Amino acid sequence: MDFRLTADQSALVEALDKLAARFEAKPTAFRGFALVSHELEEELAEGEYFDIAQVPELGALSAAMAVERLARLPCTAEIALSLLVRPQLSGEWPRPLAVVEDGRPGRFVASAGTILVIEGGDVGLVRPAAEEVQPVESLFAYPMGRLRDGTRATPLSADEAANIGKWLRVALAAEASGLLQAAVASAVEHLTVRKQFGRPLGTFQALRHRMAECAVLAGGVRWLALKAADTQDPGDAALAALHAQESATRIIYDVHQMLGAMGMTLEHPLHLWTYRLKAILSELGGRGGQARAVAAQCFGET
Amino acid sequence: MQFAWDAEQQRFRSTVRAFLATNLPRDWEALAHGPGSGAQSAFSKRFCAQLAQAGLLVPHWPKRWGGRDAGAWTAFILAEEMWEAGEPRGGQYMNVNWIGPTLMRFGSEAQQARYIPPMARGETIWCQGFSEPEAGSDLASLRTRAEKHGSSYRINGQKIWTSYAAHADTCFLLARTAPGRDGISVFLVPMDTPGIIVREIPSLIGEGDIHEVFWDDVEVSQSALLGAEGQAWEIARTALSLERVGIPRFALATKMLHRAVSMLQRAGRFGHGAIEQAARARAACEAARFYSYSIVDQRQHGIAPGPEASAARFATVTAERLVGEFVAEHVPEALSGAEPMLLAHHQRAIVAGIASGAAEIQLNLIASELLRLPREPR
Repeated sequence: MDFRLTADQSALVEALDKLAARFEAKPTAFRGFALVSHELEEELAEGEYFDIAQVPELGALSAAMAVERLARLPCTAEIALSLLVRPQLSGEWPRPLAVVEDGRPGRFVASAGTILVIEGGDVGLVRPAAEEVQPVESLFAYPMGRLRDGTRATPLSADEAANIGKWLRVALAAEASGLLQAAVASAVEHLTVRKQFGRPLGTFQALRHRMAECAVLAGGVRWLALKAADTQDPGDAALAALHAQESATRIIYDVHQMLGAMGMTLEHPLHLWTYRLKAILSELGGRGGQARAVAAQCFGET
Repeated sequence: MQFAWDAEQQRFRSTVRAFLATNLPRDWEALAHGPGSGAQSAFSKRFCAQLAQAGLLVPHWPKRWGGRDAGAWTAFILAEEMWEAGEPRGGQYMNVNWIGPTLMRFGSEAQQARYIPPMARGETIWCQGFSEPEAGSDLASLRTRAEKHGSSYRINGQKIWTSYAAHADTCFLLARTAPGRDGISVFLVPMDTPGIIVREIPSLIGEGDIHEVFWDDVEVSQSALLGAEGQAWEIARTALSLERVGIPRFALATKMLHRAVSMLQRAGRFGHGAIEQAARARAACEAARFYSYSIVDQRQHGIAPGPEASAARFATVTAERLVGEFVAEHVPEALSGAEPMLLAHHQRAIVAGIASGAAEIQLNLIASELLRLPREPR
């Protein structure tokens, strides 16, 4: 147990902070849901950030740190699956990656190079042709897309599927961790500057305590996500994903309450994080799915 | 950053586990009920003496005082294993965690020579005289007075919620020598001093845990004063920093959750509702564990613990609560005699959000110091 960053991890964090600094501001004119940055994606590809997990000095833990850091940005790109799941696929499976679960629309499906198709416990892979995917309008702050019914997928073995399931959970938790931190920070900023009854909202104990509880939950998600990335244990991955979805459910509601009507507007960036979190809530079976995975991995339930 | 235990940490944990397996009596789990009871207090003195002989009571203390200067991880692994086993050290965990180290820092030579060696041998029990009927979370408003009369102090007042008081040999007492926060002083008072009356308060926590302690013209010499008059706040801050992580409650909570789940599985009662609740509680325990580890890691590397310590405490309170609620809802028979250790855990978990500073005080600290929200008007 040693939580100090290695020299390589420190260098990575520094480089990511520098890169992220250029993408920190929401474009003032943007009034939509899915704020996608192709520029960010290109920079990450150019800097070979998508290969972090395969660099021996960095590995999956560092990749999870990168996912978490970049998820705090107001803009998004398909990062988490490329960094944490794609290295687990044997063969050439181009990024971006997307997941289609039981035929529902998924994040980044319309632009995906590879789609992981989950039907019940089975997982298959698809390199979709352009006509097999289509974008769909959505309230979620990711570009959502649908895969044409009946598209044939290359099935993975049960062991491969279990491994992919594990890494999808790690990716979910790492991304949620960054989103939760950004949502909490956004609400804290509002409570600090917004005055009502002649004083900043952040001086009211009812709100302070709720935000403090949100911060504790978000911090817990971060620890569990990083731990799961490092141990690569399926139980740790299930715990991390469960805690992420559980905490997100609570935090999404609380931060919107803190922002009041301002958080309902598309001028304010809050929804960019909370409506990404909402997209993540249902993934991989939602909390019930994670709980069954925890029961199998941690409680020996068959 | 890495999340695996190194070889030395693994070796130390194995040593502690082997010691517990050899030295805890077969009926220990029934005895663990009632953390301050006469039976457990007597047992703790025998047990801690054995721990001391094995070099496992104060390994993190300096060599001069019987330790081996082991680091923060050693101290915490020890604490985890002890708490997970039901804390067979009883109230002596306070001696090794913060009372001893505080005396090493602020005590006179005579005080150190008198009090530290018995702690290192595991043969003495202390209680802390902090809370009063009118001074709980607002500790600085305490009223117990210590008035100087020549070369001695006369102490009058009342302490309450005092753990281990009935069997304690010495009290780490906060008393007022002048008005205001800077008028509070620390006294080290033998509990057999005339004028001290201890009355147990029957409680939800179990036999012998909390007491009220009356101080009626208790006369102590000047040598009982720790540090200088009015230094209590500084001393308390040091003590607090030694105890920032608090008790590793998540360790026993996790173990008891698994035990409760096993009972349900054996009975064919681990259905969907229970699975979801157990999984949530398990995740909360794990979050509390790694939050706490992050504070231990800071201390190991000489970084002063920051407000994350309050977050670790709150995460622990949440984990205790979820496990407690799980047991009450799904294994209610445990609270009606079916499983003494689940009952003992449930009783101890009741105080998780109250003892050593209410959970709401931790939330205040997190809001101000971690989130840096503007402070409430006073």
